Amino acid sequence: MTPLELQQRGLLDLIKCRGTPPNDPYLQRVEGSRELAMMRKIAVWWRTFQIESQCRLTSRLLKRLGCFEALVADYFNKNVTSPFIEELSRGFLRSLRLHDDPLVRAVSQLEYAALNAQAGLPEASEILWDRHPDVACLAIENGGELPAPEPDCLYRVRFSGQQPFTLTCTCESTVLASGPGVPSR
Amino acid sequence: MAGFEATFSGRQAPALATTYEGGDPALLQRLVQLVDLIEIAPDTIVSSERGQYILRPEVLDEYASMVPKVGLIAHGIGLSIGSFDHWNHDYLRLLDELFARFDLKWHSEHLACTVVAGESIGTMFSMPRTQEALDLVCKRVDLIQKLYPIPFLLEHVIQLLPDAPAEYTPAGFLNAITSRTGCGLVLDAYNLECDAHNQGLDIAAFLDELDLTPVVEMHLAGGVEFEGFQLDVHSGLTRETTLTLARDIVKRAPNLRAVTFEFLKEAVGLLGHDAICGELARIQQTVLRQAVLQ
Repeated sequence: MTPLELQQRGLLDLIKCRGTPPNDPYLQRVEGSRELAMMRKIAVWWRTFQIESQCRLTSRLLKRLGCFEALVADYFNKNVTSPFIEELSRGFLRSLRLHDDPLVRAVSQLEYAALNAQAGLPEASEILWDRHPDVACLAIENGGELPAPEPDCLYRVRFSGQQPFTLTCTCESTVLASGPGVPSR
Repeated sequence: MAGFEATFSGRQAPALATTYEGGDPALLQRLVQLVDLIEIAPDTIVSSERGQYILRPEVLDEYASMVPKVGLIAHGIGLSIGSFDHWNHDYLRLLDELFARFDLKWHSEHLACTVVAGESIGTMFSMPRTQEALDLVCKRVDLIQKLYPIPFLLEHVIQLLPDAPAEYTPAGFLNAITSRTGCGLVLDAYNLECDAHNQGLDIAAFLDELDLTPVVEMHLAGGVEFEGFQLDVHSGLTRETTLTLARDIVKRAPNLRAVTFEFLKEAVGLLGHDAICGELARIQQTVLRQAVLQ
């Protein structure tokens, strides 16, 4: 490894909080510096700003839940992030598909599908909602009260993934399906 | 090879330039009345279509509508000319697209690394001022000058991290690049002030040592001081100290062709159209007018 490669790889690891640098006096000096802390802040701030501008609903919801900046920082640190804002945003939204909160999962995957459609990427998807999607999105948009989950309903939103892109939503009752011996959602 | 000397030689009044990233026709209409050149940052007008990154056609149409009233220059962010492994080929594809559509006066890039081993770092690392880094950058500058038949300029970026062990001074490193490759320079007055604030750069000594002959463009901008750091976020108007420094550079750079006021698209709402246009008029009056009077 050349000195330049060693330095750039070391700085990348430092800015992405990936552990202590190899036995290099310069990198070790950088590691504990306030300058590195500021550079990390700037890098994450830009990603936050960019994601906020592309993923309007998801960022609003996450802010409301108090975890937006932490999730962006975590995504930045743990992933190979794109310098291009649309790809960065899609990557961030994709990373939320396994989030614990079903509303975060649903909203982020809805925006992910919308960004894919906008970019002309054919990817069919189905997003499950535990509450009315329109009502939830409107509440996020307007800062209103979020609707509660509807235990008896399952909303199924489907993106066609083919041009012309279409979106359909069906509501299924889960009451009959959750009888004795039949697992509910 | 499109070295700066083949195109620019001798003193003339610099043009006034500014940034425009599209989507604000009311601002554009006013800018066109004030400036000679518009600086396009290809990275900021990108959209993806079927997995390919392209320049947004509607923004390109806006630029086309301004020509020939104003000239166009390009200023990249993401080439990553200093990455140890390779530069960013996606950026070059954007540049190709821009060159296919417009006749640019020149193009420029930051002397920095934004991608390491294929991974975006989310900001810019300045280059260590070593022989190894110098050789790498010069090789790539040579190549880019062969690829594109117009002058290529490099801009020094602010040094935020602690300074790495160096074999060259900051000015000496730039001098070595320009003398070896024949490329031009973008000298950013505000970046120098940031380096003075954050790293203790002696601006006067830097300018005394720097060969100002290759300086073709000067950048002016305003930023913020945050937690003790002066940051180049291009979110504000130019400080009086920056203008004073700019006047000094205008006097001393014999081939200066443009003074560019840079602001982020995201700062437009904060600044307002009137303030941006007022700032351009102020730069015209207090910096460029001086060059004419010399």
